[in-house]
Amino acid sequence: MSKDNPVIAEIRRETGSGTDLWSVIISPSIWALHFLVCYVSAAIYCQKLGRDAPLSDIRVLVIAVTVLALGGISWSSVRLWRVHDRSLTDDDFEYEHNTPEERHRFLSHVALMLCVLSAVAIIYVTIPMLYLDSCR
Amino acid sequence: MTDKRAQTEQLAKVWDNPRGWRALSDVNNSIVGLWYFAAAFAFMLFGGALALIIRMQLFVPDSTLVTAEFYSQAFTLHGTVMMFLFAVPIFEAVAILILPGMLGARDLPFPRLSAFGFWCYLIGGVFVCGSIFFNAAPDAGWFMYPPLSTEQSGIGADIWLLGLSFIEVASIAAAVELIVGVLKCRAPGMHINLTPLYGWYVLVVGGMILFAFPPLIAGDILFELERLLDWPFFDVTRGGDPILWQHLFWIFGHPEVYIIFLPAIALLAMIVPTFAQREITGYSWIVLSALGTGFLSFGLWVHHMFTTGLPSVSLGFFSAASEAVAIPTGIQIFAFIATVMLGSVVRSVPMLFCLGALAVFIIGGLTGVMVAVAPFDFQVHDTYFIVAHLHYTLIGGMLFPVMAGVCYYYPLIMGKELSRAYGIWSFWLMLIGFNMAFLPMHLTGMLGMPRRVFTYGADRGWTELNMISSIGAFVFAAGFLLLAWDCVRPKRHQRDVPRNVWNAGTLEWAARFGNTWGMRSIPEINSRYPIWDDKDFLRKIDEGEGYLADAKEGRRETLVTSVLDAQPIQVLRVGGPGWLPMIAAGGLGAVFIFMTFKWWLPMGLGGVVFLVAVLRWLWTGTAEIPEKKTKDIGGGKRIPLYVSGYKSTGWWAMFITMTGDLTAFLALLFGYFFFWTIHPDFPPADMFGPGWFWPALAGVLILVAWALTFGARLLNSSGQSGLARLFLLLAALATLGGGLALMAGPWTTGLDPTAHAYPAIVWALVIWILAHLATGMLMQGYGFARLLYGKATPTHDADLWNITLYWHFAAFSGVLTATVIGGFPYLT
Repeated sequence: MSKDNPVIAEIRRETGSGTDLWSVIISPSIWALHFLVCYVSAAIYCQKLGRDAPLSDIRVLVIAVTVLALGGISWSSVRLWRVHDRSLTDDDFEYEHNTPEERHRFLSHVALMLCVLSAVAIIYVTIPMLYLDSCR
Repeated sequence: MTDKRAQTEQLAKVWDNPRGWRALSDVNNSIVGLWYFAAAFAFMLFGGALALIIRMQLFVPDSTLVTAEFYSQAFTLHGTVMMFLFAVPIFEAVAILILPGMLGARDLPFPRLSAFGFWCYLIGGVFVCGSIFFNAAPDAGWFMYPPLSTEQSGIGADIWLLGLSFIEVASIAAAVELIVGVLKCRAPGMHINLTPLYGWYVLVVGGMILFAFPPLIAGDILFELERLLDWPFFDVTRGGDPILWQHLFWIFGHPEVYIIFLPAIALLAMIVPTFAQREITGYSWIVLSALGTGFLSFGLWVHHMFTTGLPSVSLGFFSAASEAVAIPTGIQIFAFIATVMLGSVVRSVPMLFCLGALAVFIIGGLTGVMVAVAPFDFQVHDTYFIVAHLHYTLIGGMLFPVMAGVCYYYPLIMGKELSRAYGIWSFWLMLIGFNMAFLPMHLTGMLGMPRRVFTYGADRGWTELNMISSIGAFVFAAGFLLLAWDCVRPKRHQRDVPRNVWNAGTLEWAARFGNTWGMRSIPEINSRYPIWDDKDFLRKIDEGEGYLADAKEGRRETLVTSVLDAQPIQVLRVGGPGWLPMIAAGGLGAVFIFMTFKWWLPMGLGGVVFLVAVLRWLWTGTAEIPEKKTKDIGGGKRIPLYVSGYKSTGWWAMFITMTGDLTAFLALLFGYFFFWTIHPDFPPADMFGPGWFWPALAGVLILVAWALTFGARLLNSSGQSGLARLFLLLAALATLGGGLALMAGPWTTGLDPTAHAYPAIVWALVIWILAHLATGMLMQGYGFARLLYGKATPTHDADLWNITLYWHFAAFSGVLTATVIGGFPYLT
């Protein structure tokens, strides 16, 4: 039987496979990695080159990492967004029914909102790099 | 009907508490939780008394009430006690006490571990607090900054380091227990989207403990190596750097604030719906904000170090993250306010404390947003402004919610009601006293009064503000004592409260007072507020229509369910009363306490007692082969009594413990690379060790040991237990060889750890791995013995799964260490 078989799709929905706890923490983990890369690389850069060093080189790296991180979060968001139009029980934001499908939609909602939060936090963290000039 | 009565009697007999002096051997969550709670409050009163001494001293300028020396000890111990002995343990206490009831479990999965944690905490706490009576208390501030704390001669710093390291063991034990509890011990049908919010918060906080406490443990190890053996990690003259301590401390210290805050605010998430008489608004938003706060709180630590001279771009990153964390924190608070607004609020004492908590915490949060801005922080750093800010967050974010929780859960735990009048008086005294004490401190700080000074001159203009603060502190204390008295005053003549006195909707209120096993039978869960949604719910529980309505085999049992959808997968037999947890804690306590005084022989004896107790505990009480394969739990379901691998609670406990362990290792490794960044040439030009040969050999041998251990598990499960035993023996030999080779590197190249921070950090890493290899060898031997005595078989192989899991982590750390110490010097 192929993947597009409606019977299988139905079973999947009911057992609600897909979003688990690990995929919920993907986006905040991306934030954490982004944060560490920015902080560690800037700290080493400034320590090794001295306080007068311009930030231009490291800025390129930080922006590149930011683009990469936001890209990863977008990918995760698109995947999670698709869960929205699959509800069999109801379409509200309560997720209070006792079915695997509700659990699945609940975790997807949490994960999606964490994507937004992580993206905002990533942008916040990048801002200082955009207007500071040197390691001082 | 008689059948049902017999079942109830059997349950009561199986779960009966030991009496008389044997009561101390109890491990049941309802008793250990209460001990934990009482101890935390006793320490809190002690810390509070110290605070009052501080306030009396500052009441007037040029006061001579206490000496500067004593004052230093008092504020250090006040901070230490409140953070380590009250704020974190109170979370563990409350969680151990009420979490099983909320989840519908009869007990937590590892009751003896809770008891062990409690005894560690009690012994360590008494040791640390007791020091002030011998004028030997730590006196370098609750964050123990070197070089002040390394250079001063007193024993106080050692007491702080060793006493608290010991207590951290209790925290990590609680984290293991609570994470596994939330993930694996929910009542059948309690899908992850129906889990009480308290459970979610506990899960997040448990995870945070695993990443926050280990760096402090790593820091403590380095610190104690410097104090004890003169290894110069923080000594600038020999290549060390005190900033390393600040990093390690605050990587722990900032998440710690949220470790304290989240479980307390979680109580609000349980209390507010009850008194609003409606379900919580925005359940999924609260979950995501708890998770988001948990993550973001790890990106804040440098905001405690804004004035250490780091590059401004580093400050910028942390400033930005510190502002970002206000978003998820705000979401939770809005969700609570929305719940209150949409419901019809029942006036009650717990609700007063909830609202007080929100108001006070929001003020603390706002000053937090202010000090997250680096230039503002430069101005108020180390002044009373910070003292005001941190007390607003901690008292609004932790103490008031906990007080709300005490008033709310008191009837459930003690079976009696607290006085409403006392509660209202206590609340207003505390709220007014608190604001009187701490609101003026914002000004005192802005006027330039630094923290930790034992007195001040009359000409400074701080006198009136300090007076107001001191009076407020006593008003606050009066309010607290009133509530404490209300809790402990005799209530024999008071009538018992009815079941579910507040008309709450969540599962913990289904229990009847006095049942240590929770509910008569474990129900199937269909909603977040089952008592509200199913009018027949309590009757079904009471008539034993749920699961595990009996304990035929005379064993304490609880259900283990799957992580996401809570399908029953195992009947877990949990431990009953016993002395081993207490003996093990006593042994470990002796190790830490005698090390403080450098009494090596008693310390060694303590170590032996600990080891023997733990081995006996494991041998007699874990991974027991049941008398039958499956058990009927009622409702026509038969589920296994024994599972191994990642289905079992033991495997998860090992996984969680080792995650924390790995974090500590990575913190040590961070130390290595930290030294590299601050030195132009690292390793120093005149130090050649440890070379590449010995580390490489060690890495290979560790890998061989890992492969043999892994192979032993695979062989055993394919039925070849004999060959598996041989593999374990060979693995132990390879482990020994690996350890010796690893030690040979720095040894043969003459790296002297007292000469410079480089050899010191290399040796610290080597010692860490050696300790893990020794433990790994012990485990290989244990697995060998289990197989030999038939305690582990091809179908009952939980021990081998857990040992292998340990080895995945140990081998990873070992090989990484070998690669770094052997390879990195060739790259620079």
